[in-house]
Amino acid sequence: MSENRFVQPVFYGRLRRLLPLFRRDPLVAADQVTDRALITVVAILTFLAAITAGAAQFAVGTAMHWRVMMASELTVQLKPQGARSIDADIVRVSDILRGTPGITTVKTLSRDESAKLLEPWIGSASSLESLPIPRLITVRIDTDQPPDLVALRKAISDAVPAASLDDHRTWTKKLGRLSDIFLTSAAIALVLVIVATGLTIVFATRGAMAGNREIIEVLHFIGADDRYIAAQFQSHFAVLGVRGGLIGGGAALLLILALKIGSAASLTVDFSGSVSPGLLDWATVLVTFAVIVLVGLVAGVASRITVYRTIGRLS
Amino acid sequence: MQAFPYRSAGELVRFENVGLRYGVGAETLTDVSFSIEPQSFQFLTGASGTGKTTLLRLIMQALKPTRGTVVLFGQDTSLLEKDGLTALRRRMGIVFQDFRLLDHLTTYENVALPLKVQGRDEVTYRAEVTELLSWVGLGDLIHAKPPVLSGGEKQRASIARALVAQPELLLADEPTGNVDPSLARRLLRLFVEMNRSGTAILIATHDLGLMDQIEGARRLVLADRRLYAEASDV
Repeated sequence: MSENRFVQPVFYGRLRRLLPLFRRDPLVAADQVTDRALITVVAILTFLAAITAGAAQFAVGTAMHWRVMMASELTVQLKPQGARSIDADIVRVSDILRGTPGITTVKTLSRDESAKLLEPWIGSASSLESLPIPRLITVRIDTDQPPDLVALRKAISDAVPAASLDDHRTWTKKLGRLSDIFLTSAAIALVLVIVATGLTIVFATRGAMAGNREIIEVLHFIGADDRYIAAQFQSHFAVLGVRGGLIGGGAALLLILALKIGSAASLTVDFSGSVSPGLLDWATVLVTFAVIVLVGLVAGVASRITVYRTIGRLS
Repeated sequence: MQAFPYRSAGELVRFENVGLRYGVGAETLTDVSFSIEPQSFQFLTGASGTGKTTLLRLIMQALKPTRGTVVLFGQDTSLLEKDGLTALRRRMGIVFQDFRLLDHLTTYENVALPLKVQGRDEVTYRAEVTELLSWVGLGDLIHAKPPVLSGGEKQRASIARALVAQPELLLADEPTGNVDPSLARRLLRLFVEMNRSGTAILIATHDLGLMDQIEGARRLVLADRRLYAEASDV
């Protein structure tokens, strides 16, 4: 051996002498460029999948929260009618409501508050003074022991024919449909991204195996069986897939955690104006984590199937 | 020169009327019948293109015969499952003409590979691999990778890899084709040593000088697509 073949620092030379004896040497030659490209693609796909899943979980959680809020509230609307005193009608209806079991809170909106609700559509409160503005009573119910809405509706209309009870059923149905659309869209996007991840692993594995055909042939001739060779390739690509998944999923988790911390006060205000932190909750984090695990599993399964099929063809 | 007679008992390799055709053309090998006895030493020779490498590939089961029977270690290869084939290959050592070392592994790792793929723990073979590398003159190069080795060093690493599992049969395709005469003699001595310790040797070569160095070695000659035996003293 000529002296100038390995010009390395002394400690590196010593390390090199020890390494072959103690480390497990991969039989699949690492291709830095291909491996990095694969990790990057899987990381991007996992990031998108995790964000999609996290966003869907957030949207569905929010919609469900709103549905619960709406289902626990009723609204009574009283329209001004001829010579009847609307204030007297409000008192009459409020008494009925307070005397009904299952109702916890009754709040009457003043004329100004009712006018304010109309302001975005028909202008400032001062211009509404001459108009007959309907009045609203908001009612909060005990969702565990809700009132008999049919009987309540009849009692109110008997007492005040111009009053109507709205249980928000139309809106809760619409919100339900909206959350279903969110969920379906997210599931489709998630499936597509997972399939794309699997295909990426398949093509990378197949390409690498074709490129390592000679190594596979040599391994066969020196007595390696298909299981041994498959394990080498499978572990190589599964590890790359999991690394990509961890990087992409980890980035998505960080983003979601940052949003959770930063948006607790700004994104989660409910209809009554109270803050309800927790919409962007730990379930979102868990869903995102589940996506990372799923990507890892897909990477493992995709590389295993591809390796066995390709080895069968090459040998 | 006469067609090699068929023998039946105790052979490591037995070919019976083997023919091989690539595609639809004429046969590359025709009616090849021969056997290799345990602990025997033979050269496979013939002009370039007569099918020496093809015959070796038939023995190592890289090719399937178009017709005839190939029996390895007493087993008809046409009936072999994959696991059975792997078991047979573990009883052979192969020295490729182009070495076929894995460039990303060190010399030590390349030579230890046949033991590693058998699932053996490195602790059980570390010493013997290191000793074998010293024996073939590569003791100082165990950490070097093939791209920095010379042709002769690669050849010796390739031979060491073929010998490390102490095979019953060693197939070597032009093992001295890339080295100078003195190194060729040294490599040949390696094969003789292995033969003495019980390994049957089949060396494919067209180097007459090399064959003359081993007295009594059988010569299998390929010519006109057929196999002939020139001498069969072993």
